[in-house]
Order: sequence, then C-alpha cells, then structure tokens
Amino acid sequence: MTSKEKNYEELVSVAQKFGGRPGGFGEEDAAYIVLHANSILASHTIPGIEISSVETPEGIDAIITVKEGYRIDKPVRLCFGHLGTEGVQRINSSIHIEKGAKATFLSYCVFPNAVQFLHAMEGDIVIDEDGDFTYEEIHVHGPEGHIDVRPKTTVLLRDRALYRGDFSLVEGRVGSLDIHMEVTAQGEKSRVELTSKVYGKYNDSCKVRDIISLTGKESSALIKARVVLKDQSHGTFVGLIDGAAPGARGHVDCAEVIQGEAKAEASPVVRASHPEAEVTHEAAIGRIANDKIEGLMAKGLDEDQAVDIIVSGLLR
Amino acid sequence: MDDISVMKEGTPILQEVSIKVSPGEIAGVLGRNGAGKSSLAYALMGVDRYRPLQGQIWLAGENITNLSVTDRARRGLTLAWQHPARYEGITIRDYLRISSENVTEASMEDALARVQLEPRYLERMLDKNLSGGERKRIELASIFLMQPKLAILDEPDSGVDLIALGEIMNLFRDLTENGNSVLIITHREDVAASCDRSYLMCGGRVVLEGSAEAVKRYFMSQCSPCTDLELKTIEEKER
Repeated sequence: MTSKEKNYEELVSVAQKFGGRPGGFGEEDAAYIVLHANSILASHTIPGIEISSVETPEGIDAIITVKEGYRIDKPVRLCFGHLGTEGVQRINSSIHIEKGAKATFLSYCVFPNAVQFLHAMEGDIVIDEDGDFTYEEIHVHGPEGHIDVRPKTTVLLRDRALYRGDFSLVEGRVGSLDIHMEVTAQGEKSRVELTSKVYGKYNDSCKVRDIISLTGKESSALIKARVVLKDQSHGTFVGLIDGAAPGARGHVDCAEVIQGEAKAEASPVVRASHPEAEVTHEAAIGRIANDKIEGLMAKGLDEDQAVDIIVSGLLR
Repeated sequence: MDDISVMKEGTPILQEVSIKVSPGEIAGVLGRNGAGKSSLAYALMGVDRYRPLQGQIWLAGENITNLSVTDRARRGLTLAWQHPARYEGITIRDYLRISSENVTEASMEDALARVQLEPRYLERMLDKNLSGGERKRIELASIFLMQPKLAILDEPDSGVDLIALGEIMNLFRDLTENGNSVLIITHREDVAASCDRSYLMCGGRVVLEGSAEAVKRYFMSQCSPCTDLELKTIEEKER
C-alpha cells in the first residue's frame, strides 16, 4: 500500500468513526474528495456535479457546481485533513447550486494528531432560484494540541432558495476557533438556517459570528448556537439578523453552558431595518444544574462522565 | 445512619438522626413538608451540600461517611430524586443503559412495563416534553435495573396515580427479593403504612420509630402540628 493509500484509509476511517454518517467514500454512485495537506488523494464525481480542484502550495482551490435541476440523493463527502502534528492547510472553495438543484455536502475536517496547526477555509456559496443546499461541517480533532480553525464563508440566496449550515466541533480539542459566516438572503422567500455546536475544553477559544441579512421579500432565518465550555476555555457568540425587507422574519437562539472556570459571552443582535420585518432572539448562559450531574452520579458515573453525557445530549 | 447532624447556611437541618434499614427490608420515613426528609436522603446519598457535621453512615458494614455520591453509588446505594432531572438530547434508552452494564433491550422493556410504560418510551427524549409522572416512573425503572443494595426513594408516589401506585409498591417488593433494601421517603401515611417499619421525622429530627402501622396511627392523630419532639419509640410514647 502506498503512503497516499494509507493516508486515504486513515483519514476516511477517522472521519467516519468520529464524524458519523458512514459510507459514501469509494462508492461509484457518490461524489467525494479526500485531501491530505495539499495532496488530493481521491476525487470522484457523478452526473449532475462538476468538481474542479487544483493543489496549491498549502491546500487546494476547488470549484463545485451542482447543475440545474439535479437532485443529488447521496451526500457529497469532502474530507480535508492532515495526519501530521503541525502545518497549514488552506481550502478555497466556490460552490454553486444552480436553479432547482438540491444537494447535501458533508465536510469532514480531520486532524487527529495535530499539535500546532492552522486550518483556514474560505468559501463562497451561491444558491440559485429554488435551490436547496445543506452544508454540514464536522471537525474531528485529537484530544491534545492546538488547532487554529478559521472558516470564513459567504452565502448568497436567490428566490426561494434554502441554505442549511451546520457546524460541529465536539470531538477532541477545539484549539482556537473563529467561525465567520455572512449570509445574504437576497431572494424572495429564501430561507437560511445556521446551527453551530461547539465543545470547548482546557484553554480553548471559541468565537462564532453568524451574520444574516434578510434583503429578500418574506425571506427568513434561524440562527441556533449550542456552545459548551469547561475548564478555562472561553467563548464568544455573535448572532446578527438584519430584517431588511417587507415580511422578513428571523430568530436567534443561543445557549451556552459553562463549567469550571470557563467564561462565555453571547450577543444576539436583532435589527429591523425595514418596518415590516420581525426579528426575535433568546440567549441563555448557565452552568449545568447540580441536580443533573448528581442524578447521574447516583448511577455510579463520576462527575466528568456525568458532564460528558449531559453535554453530548445538549450538542446532539 | 448514626447520629447524623447537618447544617445548611447556619441552620441545623438534621439533628442527631439515626436510622437503620436491614437487608431485605422496606423502611419508611414519614413526615410533613419541611420535616427534613429530603435532607436525610441527600445526606445519605453524599450530596456535597449535605455533608454531616457529625455522625457516621454505614453501608453493608463499610463506613461510607466520607465517600462521594459516585463511590456510594458504585457500592450499591442510590437515590430516586423527588424531582428527577431532565436531560436534553438523551433518550430514555440511553438513560436506562447507564443504570447497569448488564441491561438488555428486554430488561429495559420489562423495567418500563413494571412502571406501566410501553416499550415505545425507549425512543423518547428525557426532556421537558415528559410529564413529571412519566419522569418519575422512568427513574423508578432505572432503579429497578440497577438492583442497588439500598434504594432511597424520595416521594416515589408524587405524580403517580393511585392505580399505578399499587404496581409500583410491588416493584419495591421485587427489589428486596435478593436481599436488597428500600428506604421510602414520603409525606403520605398510606405509603408509609405499606413499609415493614417506619420512622417519623419532624424539625430535622427522628421523633418516632416503630411498626409502620403504629407510626401511621401516631402521625394521623398527633402530627398536625407535631407536639412532642422528644419521644423516640412507640414503647416510650405508650409509657
């Protein structure tokens, strides 16, 4: 087995063991890309999807198009990772969901051994009329080390387009996370749903910035964040929805749970720059109630095990 | 529990409390609201905020006074809380699996049947969509799967209707079949009367102990309000 094949096997195995949703990679009727550092280990596409990718000194540039009217049944799997302890990986992507197309992308970011690493992603997503696109980004990090995770994404939705973005970093150490998401729901009746789930430990730093502008008539948005922080970790959540069109509706829902010496800050910002828009919010920061922890300890779990179970439920 | 006293925020909430539960026995602790019954349960279980100032707690011959909740549970002591916590994102199946390493799908379904819940409950989330009564029954099912040496049941009847209560008392009896014991904390004299033996609490003290029927009789005739904190046994009272 060549080193490329070994890396492929290991990355895919870790991604699917800890990231969930097995299958897809290596299957003839599914599209996928597997990248180690800046080396494309595998790339496969199916009718309805065009993938163009080139290796760059520190990662790849990729252009992916889901062609007009194609409804892709199986999730498109992207695995971006590195098996080494240190380095840099930069992913630049441009995703275009054409008119009436539908697809789900599962993006696994796998760094099981990283000690000092920068993982930067810059993405532009455009969803045309009646397009339906779900992007799930699942990070799998090792229990030690420090990874700078810098995902920055802009999304543009045209009429009746739907975008669901799910970000999850609950396995291993976060390191330093700075998510920056900017969405413009420009199309009439377009809809955006953003969900972030983050579990910070030790001295992890977690920043989530979700910004949505509802400029399309009757467009709507939901921002949901579930952030759990323990030890000396700290987190900041900013969720902003600007209702800037008649009939625009938005809601920001943030819950942060802190344990130990962790610190959290939540800023749900609601703005109605059009008089017929309506944007609401709810935010809560609190500790895990003693009765929840003690309830599980009375079953024989120690405190850390009890907290982990409670947290896994919150982040599910 | 031998001569246990507990203070909370400068106020004594348990004073020189001694109780004993024998192997295979169902004992009751009866008292009005605020008598100190739940505090006794928390102190027995080892909850941090209820650490005793004095006295000792023993389980099957071992002094467990300084053990944590976890260590007590691992030795066979557990508590069904008066208001069991809810857990967002956790299914009832996940929760019951925590009870014991040996649980199976069949044993979970059997435990649910014993508290009058159908197998479909295994799929449900243990969250705010469950009623207080449902949550209570699930806690009792979990205790049954644990098969602890001593189960402390804090107000096990609250939120459970009277018809189901009979079934649940049968479950407590089943728990004691293998020599395990049950301590029922209750404010209902009929529940206490179903026990083998009872203690009466008032003002953070055990004021009476004896047969369940005799304690019930005394409770119904004298305990509103409590008139005598000094008497310890029915025999003393009758003298």
